[in-house]
Amino acid sequence: MTLDDRKRPRTDMKTEVLDKSIVLCRACDLVVRKRALPTGVRALCPRCHTNLYDTPYCSVNGMLALCITALVLYFPANFFPVLEMHFLGSIRTTTIAGGAMAVASQGYWVVGIAVLVAAVIAPGLLIVSILTQVLIVKYRLRVPFFRNIYKKLLKQHSLLAQLSMLEIYMISIFVSVFQLSDYTDLYFGIGTFCFTMLFIMVIFMQREYDIEHMWSVLDE
Amino acid sequence: MSKLSRPPQGETLGLTNCPTCKYLCHLEQGNCPRCGQAVQSRDRTSVQKSWALLITAAILLFPANLYPITIMTSQGQVRQDTIFSGINHLVHLDLLPIAIILFTASILVPMLKIFGLALYLTAISYRLPISKKTLMAGFHIIEWIGRWSMLDLFVISITAALINMGQIWDAKPAPAATAFALVILLTQLAAKVLDTRLLWDRLESKDDTN
Ligand SMILES: [Zn+2]
Ligand SMILES: [Zn+2]
Repeated sequence: MTLDDRKRPRTDMKTEVLDKSIVLCRACDLVVRKRALPTGVRALCPRCHTNLYDTPYCSVNGMLALCITALVLYFPANFFPVLEMHFLGSIRTTTIAGGAMAVASQGYWVVGIAVLVAAVIAPGLLIVSILTQVLIVKYRLRVPFFRNIYKKLLKQHSLLAQLSMLEIYMISIFVSVFQLSDYTDLYFGIGTFCFTMLFIMVIFMQREYDIEHMWSVLDE
Repeated sequence: MSKLSRPPQGETLGLTNCPTCKYLCHLEQGNCPRCGQAVQSRDRTSVQKSWALLITAAILLFPANLYPITIMTSQGQVRQDTIFSGINHLVHLDLLPIAIILFTASILVPMLKIFGLALYLTAISYRLPISKKTLMAGFHIIEWIGRWSMLDLFVISITAALINMGQIWDAKPAPAATAFALVILLTQLAAKVLDTRLLWDRLESKDDTN
């Protein structure tokens, strides 16, 4: 009993010091000594060149403003048509979800769901998730209930970020325009404008967002 | 090179990153103190999972490329296009930039992804004359570029929604679209489940200049 009690605190002390000074590369498990970095510089793994850590820069108020703007743009971007086509006197329009439905109604529901998830659902959830996280960090982190929600949101974050493909959808709008412009006249509407702005906001949001930093808020 | 010259890894110190929140955990703790996720040093079953997903994707690549992906009706004439013939058609229409974008996203990326991942998985189990650094760089590129294959499906959905004027002008997706969507899903999953640290557990070979 005495031997055990005397040993425990000692090993804990040793590992405690270790924990703060080193970082493990997540791609190759190399032990790397942590050093202070100037702003805007990221540390790379010396062995496999995977991104290890960068200086946490994450202004909560800036994030909040970006999230709210993105959320406001989300609705017109999805409600108004992203593309308008004039053909033989008739006007055809489509929203993002309309495109997904057009494919699904032909029996290709796997494709329809993929389009809907990548361009509508995941971006929407991502914006709401980050907004909730920022609000919790700002006002309610001490409350255990909100702390739990915060943890749950952080766990889902990387999946949502991977599923959200606004930038690819942006390019696909241009590809469609080029493909069809030989046959007919295409027009951008208010929906295209809102979608472009939404895409830009989400890009900035994801640049500003740092998952490691969000997790480390819990340690304080 | 012996074991002594090997750079220190987390596993030898009994430490590991939490798979969910990247918190530095002690292996004997069993669970991450910050988020509660179970921690383990390596996920050795990930190689098999990744192979299974990758092989399924490789099989689906055939229907995705051999069957038509769009059916276009124009003034009563029906035209079925596979991924490749669609791109070929764009070249004939002098839309070379668009053809290059679609060729990269729909043909080059899926094939490179399957080939690259197969190479990476083989390198975990067998010694290959390729440096681990090159393999890891390739893996990062695959992870990043893989999602761009969705481009073609987005374009098909936009076209199908706009062009639906019956016999005059009509565009519809065709069977290869589903196969292609599954190829993207499965290859992305295969890259995601793989524990890349397994490759670096192999002893350094002469091809690695560390
Ligand atoms: Zn590394
Ligand atoms: Zn954790």
